[in-house]
Amino acid sequence: MELERRGVVAPLVVTETFLPLVQAQARARRVDPRLLVVPHPVGGLTPDELAGRVEGAAGDLLRMADEARGRP
Amino acid sequence: MSADWDVAVVGAGAAGLTAARVAAGAGLRVVAYERLGPGGQLVNLTTLHDHPGGTGPELTAALTAAAEGAGVRLAYAEVTRVQPGPPTRLTTSEGEVTARVVVVAAGLSPGRLGLPGEAELAGRGVSTCAACDGPLFRGRPVAVVGDDEWTATEALELAGHATAVTVLVPGEPRWSAARDRLLAAQQRVEVLTGAAVTALRGEGALSGVAVRTADGERELAVAGVFPFVGRRGPGGLVEGLAADADGRLVPSAGVLVAGDARAGADQTLAAAEADGRAAGEAAVAALAAGAGSLRVVDPTHGVRPEPAGAGAVAASTAAWTDVALFTNSKPNATELLRGLGGRLQAHWALPELGFAAKESASVAADPDQIDWLAQRFKMVLVAVGD
Ligand SMILES: Cc1cc2nc3c(=O)[nH]c(=O)nc-3n(C[C@H](O)[C@H](O)[C@H](O)COP(=O)(O)OP(=O)(O)OC[C@H]3O[C@@H](n4cnc5c(N)ncnc54)[C@H](O)[C@@H]3O)c2cc1C
Repeated sequence: MELERRGVVAPLVVTETFLPLVQAQARARRVDPRLLVVPHPVGGLTPDELAGRVEGAAGDLLRMADEARGRP
Repeated sequence: MSADWDVAVVGAGAAGLTAARVAAGAGLRVVAYERLGPGGQLVNLTTLHDHPGGTGPELTAALTAAAEGAGVRLAYAEVTRVQPGPPTRLTTSEGEVTARVVVVAAGLSPGRLGLPGEAELAGRGVSTCAACDGPLFRGRPVAVVGDDEWTATEALELAGHATAVTVLVPGEPRWSAARDRLLAAQQRVEVLTGAAVTALRGEGALSGVAVRTADGERELAVAGVFPFVGRRGPGGLVEGLAADADGRLVPSAGVLVAGDARAGADQTLAAAEADGRAAGEAAVAALAAGAGSLRVVDPTHGVRPEPAGAGAVAASTAAWTDVALFTNSKPNATELLRGLGGRLQAHWALPELGFAAKESASVAADPDQIDWLAQRFKMVLVAVGD
């Protein structure tokens, strides 16, 4: 969140479970972070399950990144 | 060792909720015992000073939701005795349970003068919550007793309601110079040092206090008195565990202590949360025993927030080819970020990705590392939490 404040495009990868906390922290810091939400949990996943998380979030990330860069 | 719970937390204030959330987030079975409601001291605070968390109730809601979201079971019962194990045995008002690790985050008791009549006058002039009771004293004089930072903030809050606020400091103030300036600027506030309250006056409702200073004894006509002295930790709750003179516990092998209840604690929200996080991580480490409990953690945790109203600063001069990943060094966080970073690298045909890792979730992100990332990169993908 500090990075975004300094003008860096800084998407935060966060799991659904921690979304409310991160949002609360963001509100407290008066920032509106770009959030990339993935299903909970991440720790302890097998490589295949992890690949699934990447697959699920990649579309959003690329859209977010293109948008920030001003490309369609 | 079989036990009802992996981790039992005593107290669901800022420290306990954080410890419980961190431990449950790592997949442990966690119960948090609370004798009142979650939030602890937080629920009494409207404005939070030196902390970015909005209001006390808002922060309570966020901490509670995060703990429950991580799978913490909140149990509304009082823990009356803790016998270190293994397994640790807890006696509660709802029965006995066992846990492999215990975190004591029971905070401190409310302020207390220890004078005759105090209990009878509670809620009739004696209060420990300016936010709750301050408006009751509109147009009347009050006294505040204490010497710490929060005594000063409570006095300042009361000055918004009362006609006069006399701060009775038993010795010399310990509050910061900044707070001292605010008090000095408040016409309605007077600070008396070396002042001891020797008696409470009033039948049915407080009408004044007797105060002894180096100049002798005097009567102070006040409708309210707010004591922030005599706060005690949960000394004696855990069998065999040492406590300091104020009943705050000294952690030892097998018993984790977090927040205000710990001897030497800073007694701030930021410290309570940091302590809770460290205790949660210590509980995870104690039980890990080789299990692969890899977690993505918040690498920005502890980065000093900006004061309200601070705007965004100038954008870095980096180009769109300068993209980095910023993670805690836990392997799964790194892999998740590398996977996502790889997609972006292919999508934008980036020659390479920068990489930075924060060493531990329980310490603040290194400001130099943040500086480096901010100056060198246009985009940084950050792994926050599972
Ligand atoms: C008047 C005042 C104003 C303050 N203002 C600020 C501020 O503006 N900014 C700031 O940073 N800090 C402030 N602080 C300090 C801050 O509130 C505390 O440091 C912090 O809330 C402590 O959190 P904790 O979780 O350690 O303890 P607590 O919040 O005290 O929580 C302990 C919890 O444990 C429960 N409990 C205790 N014993 C048992 C038991 N045996 N069984 C079950 N449950 C039990 C209690 O009911 C309580 O809910 C203030 C403190 C005071 C007194």
